[in-house]
Amino acid sequence: MSAILQAHALGKRYGQRQALADCTLEIPPGHVVGLVGPNGAGKTTLLKIACGMLAPTTGRIEVLGEQPNGATAQLARVGYVAQDTPTYASLSVADHLKFGAKMNPGWDAKLAQARVEQLGLNPKQKAGKLSGGQRAQLALTVAVAKRPELLILDEPVASLDPLARRDFLRYLMESVAEHDTSVILSSHLVSDLERVCDYLVVLVSSRVQLAGETDDLLAQHHRIVCTRRQESDLPEGLQVISAEHTDRQSTFVVRSERALPAGDWSAEHLELEDLVLTYMERPVVHGAATAMQPTGEAR
Amino acid sequence: MIWLTWRQFRAQALTVLVLLAAAAIVFLVTGLRMHHSYAADLAACAPLHACDGATPAARALGAQIYQLQRSYEPMFMLLQLLVIAVPALIGIFWGAPLIGRELETGTHQLAWNQTVTRTRWLAVKLAVVGVAAIATTAIFSWLLTWWAGPLDQLKGDRWAAMTFASRDIVPLGYAAFAFALGTTLGLLLRRTLPAMAITLAVFVAIQILVPALVRPHLLPSTTTTFPINQASTSQFHGFSGSQTEFHFDLPTPQGAWLTSQPPVQNSSGQVVRIEDYSGCFPGLDGGGQGDDPDLGQIGACLAKDNLHQTVTYHPASHYWPLQWMETGIFLVLAGALAGTCFWWIRRRQN
Repeated sequence: MSAILQAHALGKRYGQRQALADCTLEIPPGHVVGLVGPNGAGKTTLLKIACGMLAPTTGRIEVLGEQPNGATAQLARVGYVAQDTPTYASLSVADHLKFGAKMNPGWDAKLAQARVEQLGLNPKQKAGKLSGGQRAQLALTVAVAKRPELLILDEPVASLDPLARRDFLRYLMESVAEHDTSVILSSHLVSDLERVCDYLVVLVSSRVQLAGETDDLLAQHHRIVCTRRQESDLPEGLQVISAEHTDRQSTFVVRSERALPAGDWSAEHLELEDLVLTYMERPVVHGAATAMQPTGEAR
Repeated sequence: MIWLTWRQFRAQALTVLVLLAAAAIVFLVTGLRMHHSYAADLAACAPLHACDGATPAARALGAQIYQLQRSYEPMFMLLQLLVIAVPALIGIFWGAPLIGRELETGTHQLAWNQTVTRTRWLAVKLAVVGVAAIATTAIFSWLLTWWAGPLDQLKGDRWAAMTFASRDIVPLGYAAFAFALGTTLGLLLRRTLPAMAITLAVFVAIQILVPALVRPHLLPSTTTTFPINQASTSQFHGFSGSQTEFHFDLPTPQGAWLTSQPPVQNSSGQVVRIEDYSGCFPGLDGGGQGDDPDLGQIGACLAKDNLHQTVTYHPASHYWPLQWMETGIFLVLAGALAGTCFWWIRRRQN
């Protein structure tokens, strides 16, 4: 099985503005991937390139082993739900299902019908009159019923209230589990993704700051609190992600591939949100010395 | 894909269909009445062999026909304007939103991620709505060409800027062009409203510029030079002059399009003035228009000075070649605009 997404030195420039620069990333198959990063990190650009909406200016990208080129073969394999989940305001829910059926040879009408019923959407309702949550669900239904191998969702829950957010993610997980679909979904909030993602990519200023399976990442990172000391005084094999010092004590967030060695400190695991924030705050190292390796295969 | 295009286009199509039906009723009701009275008037004067007003009875009929023409004049102007406006309206309300609206609301992202290439998506949209645009305009043009037939006959001027642009096949070229223009602008600007405004502006500019600057030069026109002497001027139709120049209304072949009639010049090509020859214009003090002056006498008086006047015109036989050429030009422009759309959409920059 080929990687979900493989990018090498990927860049996209709009006139003077560099939306994505030198992005290198590999996501192994069979994951629900959370793409996290602050606004303007290049998440949307990366996802648009991945689904073939945009052509990159520089670098290479392969999605499911093929270059996204806008040809039907690749279009059928990748589903995409854009930011703000656009739907045709003047078309009814039923029209959207018909639209999906007419536009996709692999359309799963039964699935689409069942989902609309399950969601309690009135088929005659115009999409423009749906609530934000319902519209997002409709857009997701159209993308899922196309039966893609990979589903890409760009900030799908950003504009939804917490309840709609939970429902949306639950339906997403149900359909993904049922059809063994890989998923990439982006958000600037980790909390949205925490419950659904088993793989995490942190993107800051086009740079992959952190990538790996969520469980591994959580296991490898610790916050240690100890008497004040320099980073160099820590044992070998600990990679310092962040350091804070007060007059008397130091707090480090460290990463260790092996079990954390015992020491004269108190150590605890981080919440995923803290972990991601630590990486987001970290100054971005441009150039060759990107510290983090994808660790999906490191077990 | 055809279903989607039709589904999105349905509301606009129905609106136009209703308008079309209403216009067709107006055309038919007034047209049938006019055609009837025109035929009756003509039939009445035909046995007199004198529809040109040689006898008092025929003159009365001629006045009647003139009255008919006058009474339909406002309607004539209105319907002619309508047929010229149809391509503009199509460009504004069908072309500009066709892709502009999708880009504006983000729904292109939905459409482009189904199992249909964006090239095909665009091709179907352009083809379905484009054919509808041309067909709609064709119906309007045909209706007007039929409706105005008697009036065009009476006026004998099918070359007038608005007349030429609203009859026969030229409106079809304009429809294709305006539609492609609106679509392209919507795609490039990514906004419907500015695309609509610019489409209208460009279309109006073209309606003004083409008759003045392009149409007369599509085919070589004929220029005839008349010497000014008694024999020639007695065949001229009229005379007018001002402080700085004067000219005669020169005879041109039946149905010709007179594009230029410069003032009288002397043998070295300089424009001459009435006051230089004041002796030849009795009762005219170097200006104004003669009240039916004796043109032959003026010509005889001017003959010794070796003056001449030219007239440039397109013969009546140029009507259809010019119709085809203008239609062709705008079809080619429409094709180029459509090509721009395809090129733009394939760059994958949106």
